Amino acid sequence: MSSEGTDRIAVLQGTLDLIVLRVLQSMGQMHAYAIATRLQQVSQDLLHLNQGTLYPALVRLEQQGRIKGTWGKTESHREAKFYAITKAGERALVEETRRWRQMAGLVDKLLAEEA
Amino acid sequence: MRRFLLRLANLFGSRRAEREMTREMESHLSLLQEDFERRGMLPAEARLSARRAYGGVEFTKELHREARSFVWVEQFVKDVRYAARNLWGNPGFTAVAVIALAIGLGVNATLFSLYNTVVLKPLPVADPGRLVRVKRWLAHGSRDSIQYNFAYPEYRYLLAHSTVFSGLTADSGEISALASVSRTSAPEHLTGHLVSGNYFGALRVNAALGRTFGPEEDREPGASPVVVLSDRFWRRSYNGDPRVIGRTIQLDGLTYNIIGVAPRKFTGTDRFPFATDFWAPLSMFEQLAPAAGTTDDSWREQWRDATPPWFELLGRVRNGVSIAKAQAETDLLARQFLSRYREKDRTTAVTVVKATNIGEGFFDGYSTAGLMLGFMTGLVLLVACANVANMLLARGAARQSEIGLRMALGAGRGRILRQAMIESLMLSVLGAAGGLLLSTWASRLLWLAISRSFQGFRTSFIDPDLSPDFRVMAFGLALALATALLFGLAPAVRLTRVSLNAVIKREASLFGARVSQSRLRSVLLGTQVTAAVMLLSASGDLASTLFIRQNTDLGFDARNTFLMMRDNERGKAKANDQRLRERLAALPELASVAVGDAPLLGNGFTGPMAVGKMNRPALASYASDAYFEALGIRLLRGRSFTQQEADRAAPLAVISEATAKHFWPNENPLGKRFSLDLASDNHFTDFEVIGIAKDIHSTDIAEIDATHIYLPTGGPQGKYQGGVLFRIHGDRTKALAAVRSAVESVDRALLPGLNLISLEEGPVAMVREAVQGLALAGEILVALSLTLAAVGIYGVMAYLVTQRTREIGIRVALGATARALIGGLLAQCMRPVFLGIAAGTVLGFVFTIWEESQAPFPDSMVHSLFGDPNLYAELVLMVAVAILACVAPAKRALRVDPAITLRHE
Repeated sequence: MSSEGTDRIAVLQGTLDLIVLRVLQSMGQMHAYAIATRLQQVSQDLLHLNQGTLYPALVRLEQQGRIKGTWGKTESHREAKFYAITKAGERALVEETRRWRQMAGLVDKLLAEEA
Repeated sequence: MRRFLLRLANLFGSRRAEREMTREMESHLSLLQEDFERRGMLPAEARLSARRAYGGVEFTKELHREARSFVWVEQFVKDVRYAARNLWGNPGFTAVAVIALAIGLGVNATLFSLYNTVVLKPLPVADPGRLVRVKRWLAHGSRDSIQYNFAYPEYRYLLAHSTVFSGLTADSGEISALASVSRTSAPEHLTGHLVSGNYFGALRVNAALGRTFGPEEDREPGASPVVVLSDRFWRRSYNGDPRVIGRTIQLDGLTYNIIGVAPRKFTGTDRFPFATDFWAPLSMFEQLAPAAGTTDDSWREQWRDATPPWFELLGRVRNGVSIAKAQAETDLLARQFLSRYREKDRTTAVTVVKATNIGEGFFDGYSTAGLMLGFMTGLVLLVACANVANMLLARGAARQSEIGLRMALGAGRGRILRQAMIESLMLSVLGAAGGLLLSTWASRLLWLAISRSFQGFRTSFIDPDLSPDFRVMAFGLALALATALLFGLAPAVRLTRVSLNAVIKREASLFGARVSQSRLRSVLLGTQVTAAVMLLSASGDLASTLFIRQNTDLGFDARNTFLMMRDNERGKAKANDQRLRERLAALPELASVAVGDAPLLGNGFTGPMAVGKMNRPALASYASDAYFEALGIRLLRGRSFTQQEADRAAPLAVISEATAKHFWPNENPLGKRFSLDLASDNHFTDFEVIGIAKDIHSTDIAEIDATHIYLPTGGPQGKYQGGVLFRIHGDRTKALAAVRSAVESVDRALLPGLNLISLEEGPVAMVREAVQGLALAGEILVALSLTLAAVGIYGVMAYLVTQRTREIGIRVALGATARALIGGLLAQCMRPVFLGIAAGTVLGFVFTIWEESQAPFPDSMVHSLFGDPNLYAELVLMVAVAILACVAPAKRALRVDPAITLRHE
């Protein structure tokens, strides 16, 4: 993981929150490691995510009240902090998704027209 | 918002958050490790791989912290703690730096708090922001007191028609009264104010004891003999006895009821900081201040051009009305009123100005001196700054390896810069705190010095609240911030510019690496010397006047010549003058009696004097026939005016010796003619020289007048109302008693305001005290700056030379002689000192020229010259200190065996 693959994508600034919210919405309560693993899985290792960088996003989201963390045990009886999406988080996700679609659409359109 | 609060909360609960974070990360790592183990790794290998996959733990923690809280605040707190530890750990350095800054900031804060008290502070009454003084502007451009003079009918008109004031008050200004506090005590002179009935109400001043008077006591002339005492008078004459209410006091022979005592902090609304003893209603005007030339009360009804009595108007602007609107209406009303009359000097506009504690104008006479003091205090601060900067530089050099290490460990330049600046800021804030403390009593001292200069006259100064208010605090803080930037920035930037390599290899003190640093030091050193020398030149003359002894020959006899001071508004001044002079002239106790301008009181006027093509401003004084005898001024040639010439204002003049030398260097000036612009309106009048008088000091106690002419008292408009001067011989008490009874026989009404004061005790003492106070202040400033500079020079020089021990060792090893080495070092070290002295001299000279151009008359009270030998001694001392600081460590370095020096590095 420490070496940088050429075709790996760095997370676009500001999208990490959106991705985390989405993962939590679809997968339910998860701990940070599981979120990181899930992200890698979904992106088929294309997403370059330093595991540690997940934390600022989690802290931020929790402070914004979009997710809530509680301490619990994993299947292997290890202690971990589990995060779940809140009502406010759901609302934010809808809004952020809409904005992302808008943005992505705009960029697509621009690229198509300039080509 | 919620996030903001949480982040804020995390600032304080940082320890819990930190534990939580560590716990979560550890859990993450163990999960990761578990995963790796499941894939078949050995536990040890799995742990390593987990770490690798996770990335830098500490780095992640920082990211976490940054998201969690305001990291800069946390860092700031840490930096402050670090700086405090640093300063605490170097008590010597900290103490010297803080003291230097406290001196530098303190002298500035002192001057500012005086300025603040006089010009900025509002009157000590409720809601002072809405109080305004009414001020007029005149076509001829006359300024100052006359702008605040309003006739009573004018006041009544404004009062009746104005809608913008919730109260408009009138104040007679100072009046004097002869009072008997009790039946047995001797009469004493009191100062009071006659004010309109709404005065206390409009100002919202309640009596501290008893009551104040109201409008009903200001209706019928002469019907309400009541007074409110000032706190100061009450304490002085009644020992603060609360039973004073209801008792009576005799003022000018009439009995008044004492109805109240004003609160301590309310000292009146005079534009001058003179204390008052009582307030009485305006209805008692005829009794307490008989109007000039009248005994009736027509002044209340009839407007007369340029004739007293005059009143100062102070109004409280109604809530919801803007000052601008108040001004517009007042202007309109005043001009409406005046449109019915013809004024000689037309009122062009009436404005309202916010009323401050002590009105504008009082310190006008001190503005040049104040500016100069301000400039000097600024220089002292500059010297202090340069000093501290140099100390910081030296300390920075010693801390190079520490800084280098921190940078190598990943501390950013910005962070180190910030830390250094925070340290500087803490120093300057500590300095400002010390400075403010210093200023609280220094400003009191300065105020005392100023008030002392008036002690000869029958006036005492109010005791204003000089304690620092928010303005002084803000000034101190702002100055401290600016100061921190000034002395801290360069050393801080320098600090971060260490070469890591050099530091780690301990090569920091190799000579090549230090060249630019020592240049900065030299510049700082030069600045200090420059500032100190400038200060020296600026204060030179101030200080030289300090040495004027009590018996310096001023050119006139100050001891036996007396000034008769009286209220101009009292009695039938004009008509009585002639009788008074005759009566006085007949007294055997008096040597001579004259009318004219007394020296050193700013009397007379300055106008351009022309002889042919030569032109120069000249001081002109009015003098009657016996003027020169009364003042004891010797006539060198020619004669004085006869009484007839003086009274009829003949076009004749007596000129001073210096004037004669200037205009007629090799001729006999008697019989020569010159012209003079009397009213500064480009209208010249011709005069013939009939006598030459010895030079005197009449504007500047330190210098004779450059150009001084005497004109007959009849004056150009024939209405000169100058003071009476008389010279006594024999016993002083007897002579003064004789004068008093002569005055009484002419007009009893003159007695309350009568003050017989010798020139020595009055004007001479006033000017001497003022100049000496100023000179002392200047002297203290110079001594402080020179001492600071000497300390700075010693520290830096000694440090520089010590740093070069190794170089000296090499040179000695290569065969340099001690003489050559010391000579070289000396030349190098002393260069900034001598450059500083040269620059300071030039700048001081430039300043002198500028300052002279600011003065209204070439020989004003303060002007700068290189004067006092004591200060030169101090300058020599400074140079000696510099030489010593350079030579002593060099000698020490020379004594060391070169081999040891070389190995030492």
